[in-house]
Amino acid sequence: MSLAVKRRDPAALVLLAGPVLLCALAIIVPLVLTLVVSFWERKMIGMQPGFTLTSYGLFFEGARFSVLRRSFFVAISSTLIMLLIAYAVAYLITFRLKPSRTRIFLFLLSVPFLVNYVIRTFAWAYLLGRTGPVNQFLLDLGVINQPLDWLLFSDFAVYLGLIAAYMPFMVYPIWLSLSAIDKRLIEASWMLGEAPLQTFLRVVLPLSLPGVFAAAIFGFVGAFGEVAVSQILGGVGYQLMGNAITSSLDVLNYPMAAAMSTVVVGCMLIMLLLWLRFFDLRLFLGKVLGR
Amino acid sequence: MRGSLHLLVWLCLAAVLVFLYAPLVPPLLLAIRDPQTGAATLNNFAAIGADPTLVSAITNSVLLAAIVGIAAPLLGLAAAQAVRSFGLPRLIITIVLLPLFIPGVSMGVSTSLFFRLTGIDPSLFTMAVVQTLWALPFAFLIILTVMSGFDTLYLEAAYTSGANRLQAFREVELPQIAPGLTGAATFSVILSFNETVRTAVVQGGNNTVQTFIWSRYQQVGLTPNMYALMSLIIIVTLLLILVLVALGRKQQQS
Repeated sequence: MSLAVKRRDPAALVLLAGPVLLCALAIIVPLVLTLVVSFWERKMIGMQPGFTLTSYGLFFEGARFSVLRRSFFVAISSTLIMLLIAYAVAYLITFRLKPSRTRIFLFLLSVPFLVNYVIRTFAWAYLLGRTGPVNQFLLDLGVINQPLDWLLFSDFAVYLGLIAAYMPFMVYPIWLSLSAIDKRLIEASWMLGEAPLQTFLRVVLPLSLPGVFAAAIFGFVGAFGEVAVSQILGGVGYQLMGNAITSSLDVLNYPMAAAMSTVVVGCMLIMLLLWLRFFDLRLFLGKVLGR
Repeated sequence: MRGSLHLLVWLCLAAVLVFLYAPLVPPLLLAIRDPQTGAATLNNFAAIGADPTLVSAITNSVLLAAIVGIAAPLLGLAAAQAVRSFGLPRLIITIVLLPLFIPGVSMGVSTSLFFRLTGIDPSLFTMAVVQTLWALPFAFLIILTVMSGFDTLYLEAAYTSGANRLQAFREVELPQIAPGLTGAATFSVILSFNETVRTAVVQGGNNTVQTFIWSRYQQVGLTPNMYALMSLIIIVTLLLILVLVALGRKQQQS
């Protein structure tokens, strides 16, 4: 990069650094504040500065802890399922489609993603209902002779909702790292006599790991903090961390909401740090950064 | 053999698309169906205009989309320029992209605690802040992509011909990256228009169309009017995406 571009004059510094600093503060200060509040005491309808582990104590022993455990399990298992689908899709569009068609497919993939996922989740609730089109279709076909109950308000429905909501987003990072692989490496492996599966396992898969890990984070973040999918498709009482946090907010228990939120954000930050530790950001954003 | 494999690939990809597009259909069908008779009707849409809370929710949504559509690209532009000039790309990128990695509820809780403790009451402003922070990573990435296609040699040429930094930016770089900015703006509007969870936590007494549907669902469940609203949101979003496509076409032609 040339010096001329890097040269600094005070006005430009203020103009550029100002907004960046503002964003940094707007993102980081509230998160730090949440950590601080999580140690505060709860008052009748508010909170009071102090230092207590009450909220964490209540969180880790009460019914909320089972919500955390369930959330963790649902998030991890749904992320694994979503990774399998997203990887298959990314692999097919990278290696089996013409580049021009890949772009079209990625575009088509992102259109539903841009439509609010709460609305899409409502639609799934309708599609999967006892009298909904899916049951009707199966009845008409004669596959079943009474409506399936487990289609809605079940683990199945929640997983389906999560996949519909977050899987498309996971295709992009995997596609980014798959398409960055030097095709000559794959050809070399083929010429050296490796079977296709071996080539995939020993060349393609390892080289695509930065994207896979990024996709895993996206999926996990979505599923772990989920509010709408669990409430709409899981039915009454199906709670994930997001639901537990909002219901604490509803009863104005701010320290508890802060404590649970801190645990969630903490999990995310650990994953993010691991990602940054193992992979260089430029490896992944290389195309975007143009170097 | 090869042909059938090809067909299989297409079938798999088509199945994924059907799965993703299926939920866009029911709201549209339910919106034009009379709940009693099942006949096609537009009454559900007409009822929207008669509800003052709904009208104000729509106004709020439009205002917010406008604010976010301007704020997010500008902040994204500043951040992307800073990435190029300051030599701290990793730090800036990590911070700006952070909201992508934090669940919506947590982001909402954090900002609402921040506003509560600083004494800022819930308003359009607090909603705009939350939505801007959410749209920023996307706007930032779009602008960064467009900027990486811009050769900084042009800037050097401008400097050698005596332009100052602002002139060089306005007259040389801006025309080149403008499609990225409009793309980022459209994307931000779409994201703002479709955001629920973060906004719901900091909205106070205000509503957007999205949070209105959400809270109505929690109180009384879904009514035909709600489906009409959802259809509107879907249609507007699809139209905005068409704008994005048109912008992209124009960029490729120029």
